[in-house]
Amino acid sequence: MNPKKLTALAGVAALALALAACGGGDEGGEGGAGKTLNVLIAANTQYPDEFAAWQKDVSAKFKARTGAEVKFETFASANDELTKIQTSVVSGSGPDVYAVGTTFTPTAYSTGAFVKLGDEEWNKIGGKDKFNPATLGISGPDEQNQVGIPWVSRPFVMAYNTDMLKAAGIDKPATTWDELGQQAKQMTKGDEFGLAIAYKDNFDPWKFVWGMSVQAGNPLVDGKTAKLQDPTVQKAYDTYFGWLTRDKVVDPAAVGWTNPQAVAAFAKGKTGYFMLTTPTAINSLEQGAVKGKWKFALLPTVPPGATTRPADGVEAASILSGDNLLVADYSKNKDLAFEYVKLVTDQETQLDYYKKFGNLPANAAALQTLASDPQLGPVTEAAQKSVATPFTGAWGDIQLALTNVAVQSLPDLGKGSISTQQIDSRIADAQKAAQTALDRAK
Amino acid sequence: MTILARPPEKITAKKEQRRRGVTERQRPLWLLTPGGVLMVLVILIPLAVALWISLIDLDQYTLRRWVEAPFIGLDNFVEAFGSGLLNSIWISVSFSVLSTIATVPIGIAAALVTQNKFRGRGLVRAVFLIPYVLPSFVVATVWRTMLQPDGVVNAWLSKVGIEGGLWLTGPRSYWALILVEIWAAWPFIYLMALAALQSVDHEVHEASAVDGAPWWPKLYRVILPYLRGPVLLACLLATLNHINNFTLPFVLFGAPAPEDVNVMPMIVYVTSFQSLRFGLSAAMAVLSLVLIAIPLFVYLRAVRLDVHEEGGRR
Repeated sequence: MNPKKLTALAGVAALALALAACGGGDEGGEGGAGKTLNVLIAANTQYPDEFAAWQKDVSAKFKARTGAEVKFETFASANDELTKIQTSVVSGSGPDVYAVGTTFTPTAYSTGAFVKLGDEEWNKIGGKDKFNPATLGISGPDEQNQVGIPWVSRPFVMAYNTDMLKAAGIDKPATTWDELGQQAKQMTKGDEFGLAIAYKDNFDPWKFVWGMSVQAGNPLVDGKTAKLQDPTVQKAYDTYFGWLTRDKVVDPAAVGWTNPQAVAAFAKGKTGYFMLTTPTAINSLEQGAVKGKWKFALLPTVPPGATTRPADGVEAASILSGDNLLVADYSKNKDLAFEYVKLVTDQETQLDYYKKFGNLPANAAALQTLASDPQLGPVTEAAQKSVATPFTGAWGDIQLALTNVAVQSLPDLGKGSISTQQIDSRIADAQKAAQTALDRAK
Repeated sequence: MTILARPPEKITAKKEQRRRGVTERQRPLWLLTPGGVLMVLVILIPLAVALWISLIDLDQYTLRRWVEAPFIGLDNFVEAFGSGLLNSIWISVSFSVLSTIATVPIGIAAALVTQNKFRGRGLVRAVFLIPYVLPSFVVATVWRTMLQPDGVVNAWLSKVGIEGGLWLTGPRSYWALILVEIWAAWPFIYLMALAALQSVDHEVHEASAVDGAPWWPKLYRVILPYLRGPVLLACLLATLNHINNFTLPFVLFGAPAPEDVNVMPMIVYVTSFQSLRFGLSAAMAVLSLVLIAIPLFVYLRAVRLDVHEEGGRR
């Protein structure tokens, strides 16, 4: 044979082989009890052994109920998950059930790759009523278009050092941001500081700004309009930066802190409040000098500069935080997928999951059993008073723009002062980015 | 004589013709097939797909039916230039060139120092390679810890009376990035220089010894010219590596990065995986590929790395 022809033939053969290999990813297929359900779930680096045991346990229960196997696939970071969703969405095959973070749910929804939940689907998993109503806030853009089934909550709260508050003559933790600043000043002296804040964290800063703005009546997104260039947002950044530059109630080193570093600082027992944490930090706190001398409290819900919340303000104690379960549209095992969702959102499984990993139940009855726990009381309350961030595919970009204001302001914070003009010009940039993202939203 | 001499000539000519015929026409080119197919699969097809994506409006909303995503021509490229890419290109290029310039003297000096035999030379050579073999992620994590506002670096600086300040945000982050890159990358130049040094013929050393050349002229006029080719190649490769380095800035500064270190890989990453603008980020990636291809092309033309020709000469 002519070498050229031979080359071409070999090339085509190899290509065909490779493509065939790419295509063969579906498992299960038509086989009754021999089916396998694929579940994509975040890896748990904090408790890897317990997590493996939990997976085994759930698999066994699922097999007993349905006869089918569950195969767990884990992802290490949100990016891994996104990549997995991308490839699955493009190829139309992959995991049947995804565990997706709440703030990422709108983005996942915008791909249109997940099953919209009608009455039939909700009934399959035991009805909508079994969930803490607040957790349904980010399941979809409206009641008719929900894709996310609440699985676990990780509401944000603050932790405070009981000894330090007592020593400063403070009898109960602050409920307004102004009061918080005042108390922080009372506790700041020598090497002791009022607040621990992770200024360099890539996720924390926007949560403060969103919370204070929502409490002041500005949800940041109004339909297709971004409302970042607004006095409420300006006041929020001013307060947030002011703790460090004006009030000097934060350790100057906090300019370089991420959230775990702020946890570590608070755990040393020389900080009054640690803003923005979740029950997953309990272990770290109990291992530090602060052991036995700290409690959780709700984050303030009255906006800065006010003593009561304005009429249009929302009592947002936390962003609606946690994980939702999404069933893939392309799944050939949708019934099994809903069976799995039902299993892991049942009261018993939810409480077991809480005990192992510290994630609060989304199941209302299960959450209620924890409300009487004095340590968890404020956290369960925060779970009920969580408010969803705007449900738009543009939210990822808006969140990024809000964080970027903080990131680009760090050098000024390091120098010890930041002007209103500087804040305003950075907010203007953020507004532009947010509006561009909203204009693209479909 | 002339008549007698002709026939042998004819024979050689014929022989040569046949041999050339074998090498050129009947070369077993099909043996290249596996490599060729792999290249098509691993390089050409993804490259073509990337080029295509850079011309369509692909984002989270169109991802599901990406084949049907609207074709928007060069709009992504126009938007890329409008969204800070030029600034990122400037940061990337200046950072890479500065890092390369700084690593060359260190690398060559280290190679010269370990050229002559001494006790413990093996150990020193091994130690020199540590920064190079450490994963970039580890290097960046360790440096990030050291460069914290209350970290080791600032503690040392304050001991000698220098106020450290912030290394991981603001204008200083640029210099922090260069510093860490130099720390991690100089052994590459060292390796290439060492390899070149070892290829210097023994006679050259003997000849300069016989001529009584002092060490500096010997180094400058005799040895360094031998290093020129390999070190230039090393410079090119190192610069391209610096430009493409994503792990180091990402782990050191996180995303979104401070404006001063918003290098090209970072802006492509954020556009792609945080803003989910795949079309726009593909356009940025294509532009950076073009940028990288320019020095590569110039260099390859200049040195003509044509093995075949060289082999023929020998």
